[in-house]
This record gives sequence, structure tokens and C-alpha cells, in this order.
Amino acid sequence: MKHPVVMPHLGATGGDVKIVEWRIAERDVVAAGAALLTVETDKSVVEVEAFRGGRLTGPLAPPGSSVAPGAIIGYLSDDVEAAIPVAHVPPAPNAGRAAAPPISTPPAPAPLSQEVRAARIMVRLSRVRDSKDAAGFVERLLEAFATMVLIRRYEEHLYQLFLQGLVPGTLHQCQGQEAVAVGVCSALRRDDLVYSTHRPVGHLIAKGASLEAITAEIWGKATGCVGGKGGQMHLADFAVGAMVSNAIVGANIPIATGSAMSFRLQGLDRVAVSFFGDGASNIGAFHEGLNLAAVQDAPAIFVCENNLYAASTNFALTARITDIAARAAAYGMPGVVVDGMDVEAVYAAARTAVARARAGRGPTLIEAKTYRYRGHSRGDPGGYRARDEHAAWMARDPIERLKQRLVGDFALPAAKIDEIEAKAQAKVEAAVEFAQQSPEPSPDSALEHVFV
Amino acid sequence: MNDAGAPTRPMGMAEALRDAMRIAMRTDPTVFLLGEDIGVSGGFGGGFTVTLGLAEEFGRERVIDTPISEGAIVGAAVGAAMAGSRPVAEMQYGDFVFCAMDQVVNQAAKMRYMSNGSVRVPMVLRLPVGASQRGAQHGQSSEAWFMHTPGLKVACPATPYDAKGMLIAAIRDDNPVIFLEHKLLYGGKGTRKETAQISLGTEVPDGDYEIQLGTVAVRRAGRDLTILANMLMVHRALAAAERLAESGIDAEVIDVRCLVPLDMATIEDSVRRTGRALIVEEDHLTGGWGAEIAARIADAAFSNLRAPIRRVAGPDTPIPCAPALERAWVPDVDRITAAAVALLGAASRHLTVASE
Repeated sequence: MKHPVVMPHLGATGGDVKIVEWRIAERDVVAAGAALLTVETDKSVVEVEAFRGGRLTGPLAPPGSSVAPGAIIGYLSDDVEAAIPVAHVPPAPNAGRAAAPPISTPPAPAPLSQEVRAARIMVRLSRVRDSKDAAGFVERLLEAFATMVLIRRYEEHLYQLFLQGLVPGTLHQCQGQEAVAVGVCSALRRDDLVYSTHRPVGHLIAKGASLEAITAEIWGKATGCVGGKGGQMHLADFAVGAMVSNAIVGANIPIATGSAMSFRLQGLDRVAVSFFGDGASNIGAFHEGLNLAAVQDAPAIFVCENNLYAASTNFALTARITDIAARAAAYGMPGVVVDGMDVEAVYAAARTAVARARAGRGPTLIEAKTYRYRGHSRGDPGGYRARDEHAAWMARDPIERLKQRLVGDFALPAAKIDEIEAKAQAKVEAAVEFAQQSPEPSPDSALEHVFV
Repeated sequence: MNDAGAPTRPMGMAEALRDAMRIAMRTDPTVFLLGEDIGVSGGFGGGFTVTLGLAEEFGRERVIDTPISEGAIVGAAVGAAMAGSRPVAEMQYGDFVFCAMDQVVNQAAKMRYMSNGSVRVPMVLRLPVGASQRGAQHGQSSEAWFMHTPGLKVACPATPYDAKGMLIAAIRDDNPVIFLEHKLLYGGKGTRKETAQISLGTEVPDGDYEIQLGTVAVRRAGRDLTILANMLMVHRALAAAERLAESGIDAEVIDVRCLVPLDMATIEDSVRRTGRALIVEEDHLTGGWGAEIAARIADAAFSNLRAPIRRVAGPDTPIPCAPALERAWVPDVDRITAAAVALLGAASRHLTVASE
């Protein structure tokens, strides 16, 4: 069967996209995720990857031609697909042209900070504590692994669908950041609240949100988690404490603070978590929110996912400090730097922060050093990032690391890993199928729920 | 005692508001207050004494003095409201709410909608408004901004009785309510007395009562024209109506004490009877609440109008500070009276032409 390759919607204006070159010769076989062609948009030169494995067949749109997004430019036939290993690692950005000079020194593999070391020790301690139930520990690690795989598969699958023009609206993806979401949410109870961002999928899945409902929301369907009123940036699952994710950078910081203050006033031991990026640490809401939380001893945990870039702007261009966690000192709360590519380290830091919050000792700022493999949003090829920086971070991939640990330290059979991956893929495809088959919301519903 | 036999006592608006919060806090442990200088021991109970004594009764846990962080005050109120509390947040001056507009407009107002009806945001945001010889950044009346934002209720009482009943209703409402309080109506005493304040020491019931949001109040019945006003302007409109009565003009005065929801039925009914509408607002003319009401009247009752709808409002400049300038800026009894007379004049010309 032949599957059309369509020109992705990658530009800023929706105008025609020029084909620079095919990276695969006609009739050659390509693996899913491998570079298929290079195109030039009004934004930059971008590598387009194969949305599936197969043999590239024509007619191919010729190099040098300009093509409208959505137009068919070639075909992938799946006669050989079964024989093609699936590559789940996305390509480095900036392919097809000279790498831009790095704005920041590629940080990895960085020597472990004191905090990370401390976190590691805490993990070991927690392991000791759990040693009477070593199987339980491995079980939890496996669970974290499965959730991270699910997030990765979900995001990658949606990206491939996006490339085919099958995902409506916008996309802000979190590949590479899975360990932060899973590490933090593993330390939470179901009744704790999580306030996410415009990049919400990892947090939502990690908190246990319905995959079907968030997918249907991205597809704008009536069965979406908020009935189609939210879209990709506003996902929620109130049954598991995932509040509506917020697309105003930093706005959820005072809101999480308020929820935490309310819990304390009600005499509850619930906590509220605000996830945000490095960019949010420069908005007023961050400073006002952290200060208020500190002075109120609010049971809040502020998790900064420092992926180095606020959209395209490197953090180094916007602040004179290296560690955002240092800002915690200004508000009199602990600030912890943690390796955001290590789920055990993130979990350990989160567990400490949550215990502290539940005990009424106030909030913590956790800065997780991480990286988003994809662009800021759909169609952003990440041309502002150096190839070697990207590669250095991907070499520390949190899922690969955990996989190696599970296989190496805990002798997990490879078949179990395969099973987890297959299960995740099936879940993702079922969720997309559910979304695609779901009905559109009724137009009248747009007028509902302004007031109680 | 009032007519119903319930005990009453004379209260200014500040006292009435304080009484409302006291009752709401006594009857519901989830109600708490947050704002700047509202509970500090030895302090002054907010900018206008409204929360004086409440920290002593309810403790500093429920009367929370915040940093000067308007965005965090409103944001925390939103988060607390979604987590099961009923926060009452105060901006020391209504003008400071512009520091918190993201939290008001993008968060408080939208959370119910964006959650597809899954969450409630039962919070009140109190804003002291109105020109009071403090200049351009301590005197705006900002109701039009909030009326333009779907998801917010907007209350703006003119009397102590309404202030108490509407604030209790607002606190118990499951939606975010922007609650405007005019500084010259607080009835401050001693050093807290505003230079140009007017005395409203009316009898207010001691007990627990609610005035339903979304209602207007006919303050004076009349046949010749309908004057629509809110907060301080209600009192100036009533004074103008008395003066008009001396000239044989019988004005109906409606207190538009709630802008969202808006009781257009009562307003339309009045205008259909009088055939003339004069809207008096302290806010700037352009894009004010009066413009919206004028458009709705024109839409619903055009055939009943015997004259154009007129507005008396603050000009499209920032509010000046000097007493002489501020007096000229804020609509006063003279301007309201003159506008009413002109409206009647225009109407009589119109009638003359029509009858020929």
C-alpha cells in the first residue's frame, strides 16, 4: 500500500515550502523517523523525517520546486515496512545547513552538582528503606519507565501525524523532558493538584489523566477533556488533580500558591505543584508567587523545567545567573538543582519537597535541568540550537538511561521492555483512534459554562 | 428596627461592608480575606478601614496581609477558589488591579469556561474606585473593563444597605465577582474622612441578608425621563432629579447597582414609559458601561424613544488632581441637570416636528 508523503505545515506564514533535496533516493528504503528530505521555509531550512517506514516511491516533487503545505510530494509504500527497524529518536535540528554557533556551552555530560549528588544519595537511602520490598522498588521504577515511554510514544506519534497534516491546531511537545514530569508526579498523591503549562502532555500523563480525553481535546472533539474549549495548551483531568493547563507563562505560579494556601487553611495535607519553564522565571508572577508562597508557608512545589530555551531565546541571553534555583534564596525557600534527565533524581528531590510541604514547612523551588528535543511549537525546527548541543543532551536521554538501569542493574529481560513499548504504542494509537472517531462538539456548547 | 421588625442600626458603607464580611466569615469557614494592610495589628484595616477589627475576630490566618503583589493576590484567590475556599481579595485602590489584569481576565474569568464547567471560581475582588483628589492613578472607575470580560460578575453598589447585601451575595456566589466600592461613599470618620465624601448613614439590618446580583433598583419613580447611574453618580442623579422637579420635570432614577448580570428588563421598561434615557457615569465616556446600555436600549426600545439617548461621563483624559480640575472632570449635579433639560428640550422639539 502507498502512503502519501505530504508537505508539512512548517513555515510561519503558511506559504509554499521549497524542496532543497531528497535525502533518500527514489526506490530506497527509509526507517520511520529517519531524514527523508530537506526543505526551506520562510523560517529556516528544516529536515523532514519519514512519518513511517517504507520504500520511497514517486512521482516525487523535484528539488528546487516550491510546494504548498498539505500537497502530496511522494509516497512511502509499506511492502517492506515490517523489515524496517523503527527509529524513535528524532533527528537533530538544524540539519541541512551549517550549525549555528552555540549560544551556550553544551552542558552535558556535566559534573553532578552537589544537589544532584544529594538527590542521588536520597534515592539510595529510599532504596534502602524500600529494600525489604526490592521487588516493589523495581515495580515502581518500571511504572515510571512505562509512563515515560508512554509520553514519548504519544508525543512522537502526534508529531508524525502532525507532519501528515492530521493534527488540528497547535502543538507544544515535551520529548526529552519526560523524567521531570514522571519524577515529580510519582511523588504526588492523586488528590494533589498539578498546574501545567502550554506544554502539558507529560504532566497530564504522569498525573494519570485519561489519554483518550486529552487526545480528543487536541482533536477538538466533544469527548475532549474540556469539551473542545481548551485545545492542546489547555488539557485537564480533574479526577486526578490535573487542573487546566495554563498558556500564560508563569500565571499558574500564584494560582498554585493560592490552592496551597487553601489546603493549609482547610487543614488538609494536600499539596499543589506548578510546572513552568525557564522563561517563566523572568515574569513577575514567578517572583510574586514564590514570595507569597514562602511568606505563607504554602504547601506548594515549584518545578522549573529548565530546557534552556524560552521559545527560541537561550536563558543565558535573559539572565545573569546559571541556576534558576538560586532565585529561591531571595524568597527564603530551598532551591534545588536536579538532573532533569534522571527520573530517580527528580523523584528524590520531589519527594523531599512534598514531604516538607505536607509537614507545613513551606514551598520548595526545584530546577530540573532538561532539554526539549523538538522545537518550541509545531513547525519550529529549532534552528537556534547547535547540533552538538542537541546531540549531547540526547546522549543523556532519560528513557534510555532508565532502560539501561533496568536491564543492567535489575536484569530486566528485554522482552519486558519490548512489551512496555508495544503496550504504550497501542494505547497511543487507541487514543488517537478514539479522538478521530469522536463527534465534533455542538456549536451551542461554545456558549456554555461562562458562569455557574 | 425596620418595617419587618428586624434590628437595624445606622451604618456607613465601610461598616456595612465589614459587617458583610463578618457575617460571611462567621457562617462559612472557607471564606478568607487577603490584601495589603488589611489585618496588621495597629494598622488601618485596608486603605479605607473596611476590614478593621476582622483580623482580631478571625485571626491572621483568615485575614491575610500580603506583600505588595497584586498579581499574586488575585492569582492566589483564583487558586484558592478552585481548591475549595471562598477568598475575598482586596486591591488597596482599584487602580492597582491593572497590575493583576492577567489573573483577572485570563485566569479568574476563564477558568470555569476553560474547564468546560468542571471548576468553580467563587471569589470576590474588591476595588475602591472613584475620584477623590488623589489624581490619575488613585481614582479611576474601571467597571467597563470588567463588563467587557465574559465570566466576571460586576457589582457596584451605591448605598450601605446594598453594599452589605450584595457583598454577602457576592461572597456566596460561585462565580468571580468584581466588587466596586466608591471611596466617597465609604463614610469614613475622623482622619479617615474623605474631603468630598457624602454621608449615607442609613439604617442597615444587623442580620444576614443577600441582595441578588443582577438587579437594578429604581430609586425615584418618574414619568419624563429615565436617569441611569451607579455608585456616587446615583446620589448626584437624585439631587439633579430634585432640582428638575422644581422645574416640573419628573425624572425616574435607576441605580444600576450591578452591571453583570445586567437587568435590562427593568431599564427597558422604564425607558419605554419615559421615552428618554440619560446615562450618568463617572468613568470615561468612550467605551464606558453607558455606551453598552445605550446600545441595548436603542436595540430594544428604539420605537419608544422620543429623544436621543444621552450620556454624561468623565471626559477622555486621565483624572486630574487639583480640586478645581477634578470638580470640573467628574459629572456633577449641574451637568446632569443641564443634560436632562437639554434632553427634554430636544424631545419637545422632536414632538413639535412630529405633530406638524
